[in-house]
Amino acid sequence: MKLTHQREADGIVIRYYGELGHHEAAKSIEYLEKIMTLYASDAIILDLSGMTFMDSSGIAVVLNAQRNVMGFGQSFCVRNAPEHAMRIFRAAGIPARVHFETVPLTAGSTKGGAE
Amino acid sequence: MTRRQINQMSLKFDSRSNNESFARQTVAAFAAQLDPTIDELNDIKTAVSEAVTNCIVHAYREQMGYITVTVRLFDTNEVQITIKDRGCGIPDVKQAMQPMFTTGDSERSGMGFTIMESFMDRLRITSRQGMGTLVTMTKRISMRPKRDG
Repeated sequence: MKLTHQREADGIVIRYYGELGHHEAAKSIEYLEKIMTLYASDAIILDLSGMTFMDSSGIAVVLNAQRNVMGFGQSFCVRNAPEHAMRIFRAAGIPARVHFETVPLTAGSTKGGAE
Repeated sequence: MTRRQINQMSLKFDSRSNNESFARQTVAAFAAQLDPTIDELNDIKTAVSEAVTNCIVHAYREQMGYITVTVRLFDTNEVQITIKDRGCGIPDVKQAMQPMFTTGDSERSGMGFTIMESFMDRLRITSRQGMGTLVTMTKRISMRPKRDG
């Protein structure tokens, strides 16, 4: 599991790489909270294009981020979730509560991160 | 339809969260003998991940214990997976299977059993308080035409 964050044109993009299960969830939630506190007035985008596996623990990560973002008055969305992850999100009705988007992938440099 | 078992394996490991990935990867590697699609393999990995996580988070909440995962392959192209623990047991299985129901903290979504039911063809849970839980799930892998050569 690896998380990076970078300021881009549309806000702070947090990129997730690797597997997201129960073992990785706590650290992921902690990282997201830290970044959202650090960039309290920015749009937050969670990019899941590098995620290789997800179980229902990903639901908790996304919902926790959504709860924190609303507290600071920011916007939040999930970008480029793999189809397998989307099946899990849809099973829990998450697209009705969180904005999901798909954008073309571009090469990005890493600026700050956690493993 | 009578089916014949063609292969079987068993794993026994500590109820540590860093064993979750090991369990799902190993089950997927074994089930690959039935030539599943990528989606079918992902479904199996996810269901196993949910069941093993339940053992770690709920069954053995206050203690360390063993989780036993057994995988059986059948000539009907079915894979049957059992996940067994000797933890605290589930007081009300029907309630536990309701979507979003959880006795865990904010890191849990309560969707584990719902995901298992969605991604596998059959799911059965037997549990006894103070004794443990047995989760049995089955998936039929689609038959694909064999290629010549």
